[in-house]
Amino acid sequence: MLNILVIGNGQCGNRILDAINREAFGTKGRFAKYLSQQKYKSNVQTIAINTAVNDLKEMKFTKAKDRIHTPHLHGVGANRNVGKHVFEDNKTLIMKNIQDRGDFDVAFVITSASGGTGSSFTPLLIRELKEKCNYPIYALVVLPFREEGTLYLQNAAFCLKDLRESGADGIILADNQFLKQMGGNVESAYNGINDMIAKRLLFLMDALDSEMMMVTDLGDFKTVMSGGAGLATIGFYEAEAEMPIKSVIKNALSPEGMLFSTDAYQEASRSMIILKGDRKYMSIDEVSSEVEQLSSCVGQVFKGIIVRNDELPQALTVLTLESAVELENLYAIAVEAINYERQKKERVDSMKEVDRAFSQINGMDPSY
Amino acid sequence: MNHFGKTLTFMSLAVFLMLISAGGASGKILFNDTIDVGSGYQINNYFIEVADVIYSSEVATIYVYEGESKTPKYDKFLSVGDSFTFKVEGEDVKVNLVSVYSGLKGPAKLSITVTDSSFINTKTLGKVDGGHTNAVFPKTPVLDITKTVEPATMGVGDEVTIKVSVTNKGDGDAEKIIFSDPTPAKFVLQQTLIAPTGQTIITKGETRLVYVYTLKATEAGTFVLNPTTAIYSNNVGDELPQASSNSPTVVVEDSSRKANLDVTVSLDKYTVDRRGNLQGTIRMKNIGESSASGVKISLLVPAGLKYVDGDSSIEIISGVPTIYMESFGMQQEKEIAFRLKAVDEGTYTVSTQNYYSFNDGVNPNLQSASSTSMTNAIYVKEGKYDYLLEQPVYVYLVPLLLIGILAGWFFYKHRQYKF
Repeated sequence: MLNILVIGNGQCGNRILDAINREAFGTKGRFAKYLSQQKYKSNVQTIAINTAVNDLKEMKFTKAKDRIHTPHLHGVGANRNVGKHVFEDNKTLIMKNIQDRGDFDVAFVITSASGGTGSSFTPLLIRELKEKCNYPIYALVVLPFREEGTLYLQNAAFCLKDLRESGADGIILADNQFLKQMGGNVESAYNGINDMIAKRLLFLMDALDSEMMMVTDLGDFKTVMSGGAGLATIGFYEAEAEMPIKSVIKNALSPEGMLFSTDAYQEASRSMIILKGDRKYMSIDEVSSEVEQLSSCVGQVFKGIIVRNDELPQALTVLTLESAVELENLYAIAVEAINYERQKKERVDSMKEVDRAFSQINGMDPSY
Repeated sequence: MNHFGKTLTFMSLAVFLMLISAGGASGKILFNDTIDVGSGYQINNYFIEVADVIYSSEVATIYVYEGESKTPKYDKFLSVGDSFTFKVEGEDVKVNLVSVYSGLKGPAKLSITVTDSSFINTKTLGKVDGGHTNAVFPKTPVLDITKTVEPATMGVGDEVTIKVSVTNKGDGDAEKIIFSDPTPAKFVLQQTLIAPTGQTIITKGETRLVYVYTLKATEAGTFVLNPTTAIYSNNVGDELPQASSNSPTVVVEDSSRKANLDVTVSLDKYTVDRRGNLQGTIRMKNIGESSASGVKISLLVPAGLKYVDGDSSIEIISGVPTIYMESFGMQQEKEIAFRLKAVDEGTYTVSTQNYYSFNDGVNPNLQSASSTSMTNAIYVKEGKYDYLLEQPVYVYLVPLLLIGILAGWFFYKHRQYKF
């Protein structure tokens, strides 16, 4: 049995973590936590960290003991510099809480790249963990809507950069901009994105610790994640009716099945495909055909098959990317955002001349 | 032997002669002495007078007067040794001229015997000097007492005047009269205008008002007053039979003004399931002619029912729902609502104990009154879900245990996730 640590940083990380814990109960009912047990295959420890206590309070399926509040007003206000200071102030508390839980085989740190707490805490936390622990640590980073604002774009750009430099063993990208194709209102869109990420991560953790017809394990996952540019994304598809496994795989590799916009056949460096479902769907020919097609473009493709009687076929793909056009687009916008913010700051500085104008009448009174 | 027989015969003869001799004495000797001419001897209403003595002839004239009659009833001329007998109150009185003596008053010695002396009044017995005119004969006064009331019909608190008059209808004065006139029950003596003091005398034929006083009636009813009595004596000190007056009747009508609190207690229904509620109403009305004060109504709820709540005028005093009002005017009405809960099956009644006071306008003190009221029978029957309570204990324990475990589990999980 694997020992897995999942940390959710900031509001976005907390919500995805809570979604994972909720999905682990196997039912979405509000009484799930009272009436059922979490169905983790592995020994999964979850920790939510936040500077905003309200974000921690709104979590419903994560135990209180697994929520760490690092007090700083009600958040750091999207200011990564402040967030970094707060982390340094609370580093001992956070690390003690993690280390008290023992050793792990793998850790996932979930965060938004654009917010304050998550984007500033996560690189520093991973750095600390890498210094003190020996297990691989993967960051699952949610990129912002492009129209969310310049501060968020700026944060996302610097956060990703910091993560690359933190020593993380891999960065799994999920893009709100790409996932907003799901439609619906803001709340349902966010919840839908959180659920998608939670479902994929649970599938992955389940697969890494399951007996398989064809085996993929943590070692394979590490190998996949070590390929490419250190960036990865996850694709997933779950058949809603009987369908050939070939179609399920294709859907999982299609842009619609991905957390981040990418062309799997063009941009992936290594890949892992995990299939789950009733034996009758697992046509080896179809599976081999799809794997071969992908491996001809990507190179190495690890594949695993989990047989679950009476279940419709599902497919999870993990792709590490050699290149990411969408990420380059993001950075291009981020650069503009950074420049915009700098110019605005300069404009604010120039406003001090206005103050000087006002200062000319200091000590004078009007005469009538 | 013959000597003894002779002695016995002689003694028997002697006894016989003694008995004969005793029979000739005619009973008790009242007098055996001399009486001067013109004097005599009185036996009750009779007077034996020595009218004349002729020493030389050894004769004497004896008159016997009855009462104050100046004409002797008997006029006897007796020689020494002669006697005559006459009747006094049925008894024979025998007068025997024993001897006569010479002298101006030439006394005669008389022996007077009577067959039975029990009838003789010792106060009118004995030698009387001076003859018949000096004898004192006993009179018989008769007191006729009349008691009147005015008015004979009255109200409570009103006064009645009692007058007692007495008439001596006898032939002599009534002396040493002692009147007795007890105050009747339910009346209070108000004023005494005339009353006898000590012993008094009412002469023959006299009519006198001996009592005049007023009484106050304290209670309604028809009362027969006790008779006024008198004990008295005649001129010689004989105590005569007690005289009694008539017994007048006084009717005292109830003129007081009372408060009369009419209290009823009723319920909205008289058949109720166990644990069901009953809505009750206490209705009060003063139908009397006076205001009530210090009104206290205690609602007595039986053990099978339970008092839940009621109007603000109901207070719980020593566990008893109680209504207290300082005053409750004439014709005033009030309704007070309360709620009961049926606790146990059974048949019950709810009652009230009502206490109040009032001023009846007669008595200086407040009068107290009390009454009780009661509902019809209330039937508390088995509740709709009572059968649940009749199950064995384990029937409840198991679900309760499960609920407890579930509640504990929910609480534990809630605490686990409460941040």
